This record gives sequence, C-alpha cells and structure tokens, in this order.
Amino acid sequence: MTAVGSERRGALRQITLRRYLQFAGITTLTALAYAVPTVFGSNDFRMVSYNQVLALLLVVIGLGIAVGHAGQYIIGISAIFAAGAYSAALVAEHFPTHTGLLLMCAVGAASGGAAGLVMGSPSLRVAGFYLGLVSLFAALVVPAVAEKWDFVGGSLGIPLFTVLDFAPALTGYKLYVICLTTVLVAAVFSWALMHSRVGQQFAALNSSEQLATSMGITVYRTKLLAIFIASVLAGVGGGMYAYTQQLMAPASSSPQLSIYLFVALIVGGASASFGPLVGGTLVLAFNQFFTAWSSYNGLIFGGLLIVFAVFLPDGVVLQLSRLRFWNRTPCHVDSASATEPAASTPTESFRTASAHSAIERRDDSHATLRVLSARRSFGGVRAVDGVDLELPRGSIHGLIGSNGSGKTTLLNLISGFYPLDDGQVMVGDARLDRISPSARARFGIARTFQTPKLIVDATALANVVPMVEMRLRCTAWESVLRLPRGVRTHRQALTEARRALKALGVEHIQDMPAGTLPHGTQRMVELARVLAARPKFVLVDEPAAGLSPRELDLLIAALKRLAAAGTGVLLIEHNVPMVLEIADTVTVMHQGSCLFRGTPNELRSDTQVADAFLGLSDPLDTAS
Amino acid sequence: MVLFLNALIAGIGIGAVYAFIALGYSVVHRSTGIINIAQGDLMVAGVLVAYFCLVKWHRNMALVPLAILVVVIILSLVEERIAVRPFITGRARSTGWFVSTLGFSFALQNVCVNVYGQHPVVAIPGLFRTASIKLGDTSISTKFLAAFVAVLLTAAVLELFYQRTWLGMAMQGLAEDREIAALRGVNPAQLSQIAFAIAGVVAALAAFVVAPIISSDISVGTFYGLKGFIALAVGGFGSIRGCLVGGFLLGLSEQMFDLYISSEFEIVAGLIIVLLVLTIRPSGLFGARTVRTV
Repeated sequence: MTAVGSERRGALRQITLRRYLQFAGITTLTALAYAVPTVFGSNDFRMVSYNQVLALLLVVIGLGIAVGHAGQYIIGISAIFAAGAYSAALVAEHFPTHTGLLLMCAVGAASGGAAGLVMGSPSLRVAGFYLGLVSLFAALVVPAVAEKWDFVGGSLGIPLFTVLDFAPALTGYKLYVICLTTVLVAAVFSWALMHSRVGQQFAALNSSEQLATSMGITVYRTKLLAIFIASVLAGVGGGMYAYTQQLMAPASSSPQLSIYLFVALIVGGASASFGPLVGGTLVLAFNQFFTAWSSYNGLIFGGLLIVFAVFLPDGVVLQLSRLRFWNRTPCHVDSASATEPAASTPTESFRTASAHSAIERRDDSHATLRVLSARRSFGGVRAVDGVDLELPRGSIHGLIGSNGSGKTTLLNLISGFYPLDDGQVMVGDARLDRISPSARARFGIARTFQTPKLIVDATALANVVPMVEMRLRCTAWESVLRLPRGVRTHRQALTEARRALKALGVEHIQDMPAGTLPHGTQRMVELARVLAARPKFVLVDEPAAGLSPRELDLLIAALKRLAAAGTGVLLIEHNVPMVLEIADTVTVMHQGSCLFRGTPNELRSDTQVADAFLGLSDPLDTAS
Repeated sequence: MVLFLNALIAGIGIGAVYAFIALGYSVVHRSTGIINIAQGDLMVAGVLVAYFCLVKWHRNMALVPLAILVVVIILSLVEERIAVRPFITGRARSTGWFVSTLGFSFALQNVCVNVYGQHPVVAIPGLFRTASIKLGDTSISTKFLAAFVAVLLTAAVLELFYQRTWLGMAMQGLAEDREIAALRGVNPAQLSQIAFAIAGVVAALAAFVVAPIISSDISVGTFYGLKGFIALAVGGFGSIRGCLVGGFLLGLSEQMFDLYISSEFEIVAGLIIVLLVLTIRPSGLFGARTVRTV
C-alpha cells in the first residue's frame, strides 16, 4: 500500500509541475499576444490585419464548441459570420452616429444566432454530415446572393469608411487590446463551458447519441444549443470584423473562408482546450501574412486536412500535451495498475463502499413498471409479439431466451429507443410510452447497452460524473460560471461518482480514459454510471458477458444491492445459472412472446422449458 | 409557354447533372457509409481532361471518354487510398473521413485551377454536331438530351448491378454491418476500392456529358458537389430512384425559381428546398426511415 501511495504522490507532483508549466506558458503567450503590435509593427495596415485575425479567431472558437465539444460539423460557418457582419455593417451604415463596437457586436450576435438556428434546426434532424454539407452550401449561397443584392451593396459591399458620420471611437492599439481581450475571454468561456455540466452533455452527445439519450439528455435540443452558441460567437466575430475592417463585402466571406477556419480548427485540435485558439492563430496568421504561395493554398490546406484527419486527429495542442517531456509518470503508473487486479480485494472494496452506500433509496413510491401487450415488428418479423411484463420496485426480473427471441427489443421498447407498434408501458398511472426516451431516462429508467457505451476520450470518473449532475439541481449558467451552487453540485457529483465506481470495484482506474480500459472494466464503469443515476428501474442488457469471475461477483452484489435499495432490475442475460441465482422472477422469451413466467424454482421444475432453454437437450430436437 | 418549356428542358438537363453527382455519392455511401465530398471535383477534373483533349490538343472525340475515364478513376482510387481507407480499416477515428474527403476536395480543386491556369471560360464541344433539335415552338438542346439519357442509362445499370449481381449485393451489405460482412468473407477495403472505382466511372460519365453544359469553368466543382448532395437529401439516401428524382426536382425547381421569382437569386432555391424537405420529411422523398439499432 505504501508503494502505491508514494507513486500516487509522485504522480501528483508531476501533475502540479505540469500545471505550473501550463500556467507559465499561458501567461507568457498572453503577454506576447498583447505585445504583437510592438514587435511586428503597428502601422494602420498591420493593425487592420491583426484585428481581422482576431475577429476570425472568435469564429474558430465558436466552431470549436460546435465541432469539437458537441461533434456537430457546422463547416460552413462563414455563412453565419457573414450574416453577423452584414447586419452589423447595415446598422452602422444606417445609424452611423449611434453605432459603436459594442452595438455592432450585439447585432452580429443576434443575427448570427438566428442564422444558426435557421440552418441548424432542419439539418440537425438527420445524420451529422447533413449539417456539414448544408451549411457549406449556405456558405456558398450567402456571398453569391450578397453579390447581387443592392440592399447590402452588391459586389462592393458596405464600405463603412465612406460613411461620413461613422467615426469609430476606438482605433489603434486600444482597439487591438479590446479585440484581443474579447478573444481571450471567449477562449476562457469555451474552456469553462467544456468543463461544465453543459460541456459534459456535449461530450456525451459527441460520443454517441444513444448514450446521451440513455443519460436523459435531450439530443436535438442539446445539438441546437451547441450550434446556437457557436453561431453567436461567429456573429460577434462578424460584428468585430465589420467594425475593425470598416467594410463588409461578398469577398470577405468567400466559401474558402469556411475551409480556412475549419483547417484552423483541425490543426489546433477541435476538442482540445484552447486548440481552436492555437490552430486559429497559426493558420489565420499564415494565411494573412504569408502570401508567397497563396495560389497553392488550396493544396496546402487540403493536404493538411487529410494529414491531420489520418495521423493527428486530435490536433497539435493535444499531441504536444502528450509529449513525454512533461507527461512522464501518471499515465504509465495507471495503465500498469489497470491490467493488474486492484490492490484491495473486491469484497473488501465493496464492503468499504457499502459503509457509505452508493445506492440510496430515492423515494417511497412503489409503483410497478408494467408492460401491457407490447408489440413491435421489423418488416415482416414480429420481434416482440404481445408481451406482458411486471417489474415491481425492489425485485430482480430475469429475462432469458435464445438469440433473436426479442429480449433486447423489449428492453428498447421500455426505454423508448424503439417506438411501440401497439401496447403500453406504464409506471403506476403514468404512460411512459407517450414520452421520449430521454424523458424516460430522466423519469428514472436507466439502461446499459450490450456493447458498453462510454465517452471513450473521457476518464472513467468523467463518464459517471455527468450522470450524477443530471439529477442535481443547478442551472447551466451556475455551472459554466462556477457560481457557488455550480461548484457545490460538481463536488457532490465527484464524490458520488467515486462512490459508485468504488461500489463496483473499479475506483483505481477512475483517471484512465474509458476507451483504453479492458472490456469487462468498461462494463463496470457503465454500470457505475447507471448506479450513479439512482434510477427507479434499471434495464441491464447482458451485463455478465465478458466479465472475469471477480467482476461477476461484484456485478451480482451490485444488482442485489440495487434491488435491496428499492430499484426494479430487469436483467437480460445468457448466463442462466446467474439469473436463476439472483432473480425473483424469470421470464423466458421465445420468438417474440412469453413462453414461461415464474420463480427460478418453478422454472427448474418445468421440464419442457428446462429442456429447451437450460441446455438439457437441443430445442430443435424437441420441436421435431 | 415557350419560356416554360425551355425552363422545363433546362431543368431536366441540369437536374441530370445533379443526379449524376448524387449517384456517385450513393455508390460510395452504400458500401462505405461515407459521403465523398470530392465527388463534384472528380467530375470537374474530368471536364478539365475534356478541355485539354478537345480544345487545346484538338484530339479525336472518340478518344475523349477513354481519357476522362482513366484520369478520373485514377484520381478516385488515389483519394480512396489516402483519404478514405484509413477510416475503413479502422486505424483512424471514424468520423475523420468528413475532414479528409473535404481536404481532398479542396486540394483537387486547387490543382485543377492551377493546371487550367488564368484563362477565360471557353466552350467545350459535345458529342453531337447539331446544337439542338427543333420541336414545335421550342427546341431541345442536345447537350441536355445527352445528359438526360446518360443519367437514366447509368441509373438503370447501377440498379441492375445492385439487384442482380453477387458483388452488388455484397456492396450494399457492407455499410450496414462491416463486421458481419467481413465474417462472410467480404473484404471491406477491397469493396471500398471497388465502390470508388464505380463512383469514378459515374463521375467520368458525368464529366463527359457536363463538359458542353458548364464549358471550361473549373471553379464549379464544390458548387455541383453540394447541389448533388442536396439532390441526394431531397430524394432520400439509399435509393437509385431517389437520386434521379432529387436531381430532376432540384434542377426543375431552380429553373422555375429563375423564371417566376428571380433569376438573380436562383442559387437560393436549392437552400430553400433542402431546408424545407429536411423540416417536413427528414429522410427525403424516397428514403426509408432507418431504425436505430442498439
């Protein structure tokens, strides 16, 4: 134990050193950014160019939130940028004496956000690449329309420097400082968002929409929120562009701009903290100040996209942060201990966990989950054909049957992943089949998947934390801005998530990326996520598949504890001895309907079913 | 009435080009599950070959289809190898194809522009000597007729290929479940290669019939590529018929928008249509509502 302890301390010291380096690095870079005009020249032309890069950086940061955090590829973001810039320029043109940077940014934000909603709300209903291509088309349409539309000045655009009454109050270094500060604030906001409960939901969504739904996240609304935030930032960038450039013209938002911004994002790393900022600075500065090969920009940037997609999908920031130089010990210590059995024996860790129980009684209502003559066909196949099922709180209901007998379909019908063709799913008097799958999850129906679904890039702990936060009351703003309640709920979520991991004997891998864990451990993490939700009912789909005997013991103990704490457990499993050991009731399904229902003992004594399903003889033989 | 008929004919002709691109997407999508964003640029590369053969070097018309076919198929296979294969064999992150095919599209477009150089757009002759066939008050331009016939034939051949041949059926199963396809002895990498070869043939055919329509305008690759995608989205994924209907519908509605609403803002028609279809019927007109499997 002491050796483990000292290694942990070593890891901690490394992390603090890394933190220190990070802090020093960020401070130096920030100072340098403010010194750019002093170092690289501060004539008017230069200042305008710097500000242009800054305005576009805002757009890249927005793009990072949509693409990197939430996985929504709104590539044609230049259309939204243009909407923001044009409306800001129009306001400045028509009300020159009343308009300043703040108003133009606000107008840009409003129209950018609106444009994002118009583009996003239809495209988000379908697969991810729709949004990408539809937005790219919009990026093509906007400059083409602006070119011919006299209201926005046609091909000349809106040159604000010719508007006599429009005299910008901010110029020179002062303007640069304001723009730079805005960009830095946006970057910090993006970082805070990523590490808030909203960011956790984005990450779950990015990982898998089914996972997000099973956690109770409203997928469509969350996607739209990501697009909206990105669009508002892009719109602010547009307002800043129009103010600093004193111009908005069709050429300012050519379709190529979308590609440059996207390249900037991919180079920096879409999902890395400050990745968009770094990539944006590199690519936009290159594009702005290095024009010798500009006729081959397409080849250079296109090539970069391919190279990064294939070899460096995480971008330079994460790639650099993984360098051994500042990252030596922690990873290796943990990966060693993950393959080895835990330091403490399973029963030990489970006992300590039960001292402060991970699974607590949630409420006193004892309404039973009931499925009434559920039906569902796929094409001509009746996967579930009139099944009734009762799942009282506090009991374990085993569901067995051969492959294709409709067990998982039934689970999907209860959790709402498939709509019912006919029948009802009720809890007490509440008709669950009338609400969406994510609403059912929030109601208290948790589920696992046959192949564990986890946020693979996030740590095991970070996979469980969002589930706890989902049921703790706290607004998004409190969480993003780290207000007292936000901080408090996050701490509570961390504690409860650790407890849930401990209850399943996997607390030692809490800081490992979930995707790197062995299959059995992933299952346990998934189950910990379900525990952490404190659900009323749990639907587990083949949880024992691929578990080691030790993990199997922990699983059985956890399921029993869940039931003892008042949760109704529906257990789909091929491991029949295990089901017979722990289930209160067993249902045997065959070709979509219920073949047998009763206690494990009744099943053992029912020779016909036992013959067919407990492996005493081949079911096909008995049929013939 | 004459105006209307002309718009109708032009709509079907241009729609045929969109349908061609949509077919290319569809071929790749059903075997690999990806959308090849460079499909429009592959077609434009073919148009560039036609320009060099016919306008610059004055070669025989019979040689042109062959030259286009060779160049476009090679480009398509190169793309498959560098920008798609890593994602099929699972070495790289699965959604990266979106980034890499976009990159290939951008790079190929840039190469085409540089190869073409700084010239004004010039006309490229088509297969037929006569420009149009008189038909009462109106006339059908042969370039539109050629595009229409070619796309119908291509679609019919593809439909037969997917319905009747073992290879065609195997190529459909692949996108649905790669693991099962692999278990049945189907090699995903090889099928992805074949899919890109076929998509290359489709792009080459499209290039041959589209050259007289767009002339030597090399910059339109992205434009046609995205219109093709809209055709696909309107028609619905996964059906050859959907590609045709989507293409013609888009072509026609653009021409009608042009005629009755505004000729300057014709490009808006596509955006309006796709947003409308996605709002009312997200899976497209002929697309099956896919069931999520867990």
